Amino acid sequence: MKRLPRADPEVLLPVTALGVTVIAFLLIPTYTDSTVATFDVYNTLQIFARLGPLALALGLTMIAGEFDLSVVGTYALGGMLTVQVGQEHFAYGVLAAVGAGAAIGLVQGCVIAGLRIPSMPVTLATYIALLGLTSALSGGLTKTYSNVTVILWVDQTVLTFFSPRSLITLGLFVLVALVLGLSRWGRELRAIGADRRASRVAGVRVDRLLVGTFVTSGVLAGLGGSLLSLSLGSANPDPGVQPLILAAAAALLGGVSLAGGRGSPLGLLAGILAVALLAEIATLAALPAYVTQLFYAGLLGIIVVVDAPDLHKGLVRLRTRLRPEPGSPRPIPESRETP
Amino acid sequence: MNVTAAPSAPSVLRRRRQRTRNELVVDVVVVVAVLAVLVIGLTTDRFVTVANAKAIVTSASLVGIAALGLTLIMIGGSAVSLAISPTVAAVGMVFLSAQSLGLVPALAMAIVFGALITGVQGAVVGYAAANPVVLTIAASFAIAGLAAGITGGVSVSPSGLGYDRLNATPGGVPLSVFVLLLLTLAVEWTLRRTGFGRSLYLVGENRPAAQAAGLPVGRTTTVAWLGAGALFAVTAAFTAAFNTSANVNLGGTLTFDAIAAVLAGGTPISGGRGSALRTLAGAVLIAAVSDILLLRGYSTGVQVLVKGLIVLLVVIVVHVLARGRHA
Repeated sequence: MKRLPRADPEVLLPVTALGVTVIAFLLIPTYTDSTVATFDVYNTLQIFARLGPLALALGLTMIAGEFDLSVVGTYALGGMLTVQVGQEHFAYGVLAAVGAGAAIGLVQGCVIAGLRIPSMPVTLATYIALLGLTSALSGGLTKTYSNVTVILWVDQTVLTFFSPRSLITLGLFVLVALVLGLSRWGRELRAIGADRRASRVAGVRVDRLLVGTFVTSGVLAGLGGSLLSLSLGSANPDPGVQPLILAAAAALLGGVSLAGGRGSPLGLLAGILAVALLAEIATLAALPAYVTQLFYAGLLGIIVVVDAPDLHKGLVRLRTRLRPEPGSPRPIPESRETP
Repeated sequence: MNVTAAPSAPSVLRRRRQRTRNELVVDVVVVVAVLAVLVIGLTTDRFVTVANAKAIVTSASLVGIAALGLTLIMIGGSAVSLAISPTVAAVGMVFLSAQSLGLVPALAMAIVFGALITGVQGAVVGYAAANPVVLTIAASFAIAGLAAGITGGVSVSPSGLGYDRLNATPGGVPLSVFVLLLLTLAVEWTLRRTGFGRSLYLVGENRPAAQAAGLPVGRTTTVAWLGAGALFAVTAAFTAAFNTSANVNLGGTLTFDAIAAVLAGGTPISGGRGSALRTLAGAVLIAAVSDILLLRGYSTGVQVLVKGLIVLLVVIVVHVLARGRHA
């Protein structure tokens, strides 16, 4: 099916997405009243910081061929713990959020890897339970954080464009990219996503790697919620589905496939920056909330349909039916995923 | 995978026996869970009252009808729809604003609308094999966005009074309970006795095999989602009639409640198995658990937490039992 082996979606998709959104961002003055100011770049990076850890967490599990729906639950819980435990010192709150994320990831990873259960139902159940837990912790109310010094610190402007929050998020990406790039975990992660059984036979410690991936995902999601709470100075027990939509769209634009085995941290970075730029453009263009909502839904919908496996098969079938080539090999059915 | 190597007769027999035994174990687990809930209920104040029993069956009926729809989706192997709540909200709005046409046309409009918006998602899942979870997340956002955009965020009020007949309580029991029982039997019959039902199980059990066998995978999946949408619409009509107004939040936590009901009934999320009767048991179980927690004074958060934990437990139990069959 691939005629150009190097132009694979893993590279093509994030580069195109980032390129198109950067151009659209630079052209803002031509279709709105506002001009591009340095503040807009800062703000884009703030959106990136809000979205980044969540999308990275989701993206890593997707590369491994799983789908961690619970990230939004961990995100909400992390934010709530930061506000409630961290009233005395913010570090306690962040530690609590990260610890809770790690514990949730560990339990989920052990269940999924140990019992070989598909991750979707498990993480869905955890997602429901975590939303309930967060709501129970706060009595269903939004909680405010009183330590103003910390709130001001995380969002202060650094080097014109950055804030400590966006720098921390960028640091997380660099860290994950380095770890996956320099160790064999990067290749193994993609291997277990592409073909679980073959990588097991090839000697990859699949179970350990899966548990590690889910722990990382939990830590990132908890930290993401924590950073968001420190920035907003409050924690909301129900973040809704918007963070999940944006994170999934960012991961898919970043060249990760829902089938697994494809994607890289740098691709994810490009995908998230693209979504952050889109969000900033929507803000600058002052679109009504529901239009933005429809736009994100449409974006995610289109990506999912394009990513759908049988669509390609159907198109190939249609093409071969339109101009039959004698002796052309029949399309080989994709091997079934073996969880 | 290897289709040509037919398994020998004894192994088929053994597997079939094992299968029925595992199904039986799942049934026993569900029954034990219901009994355990009953025992906890009996020790809870005000649980054993007629009023409370009515409250349980009423809440089970609204969740149960939507859960029947989700059962069709899950048996067909397309996991879950995460767009149930916004679908119910949107359909509820259509139902109430069409009241001036009379109850029956409004109900018909609501059902067609619900079937269509859910069926479109089903067609994409069925024909293109798109990921149903991510697709329905996007759909839920789109439906909520459209509903908010069209109504301007205001609650929709009924344009007539016909809807009130859905709030009737023949014999002291809400109409929705009778409808749930009737629909459960109808769905069960469809699943067991029609060609569509049999194809649905096969598609859910093994999609590539069903495709190779020439079953209309796309059409079967689409029809299942159309039916699911119609059932969501019935829940929407009852919910809207009960609340006498509809806004974006009409669906509440219905998405999670329906998922919890179907999974608590022992239907595996991977598809190919499950039944309407099990979903009915699951819906009653979840409603009873919520009721007990409410009577014991726990917050909504704790109720959702317990629902999540029940789902987690059932998913693990069902999976471990089912694995014995595949191993």
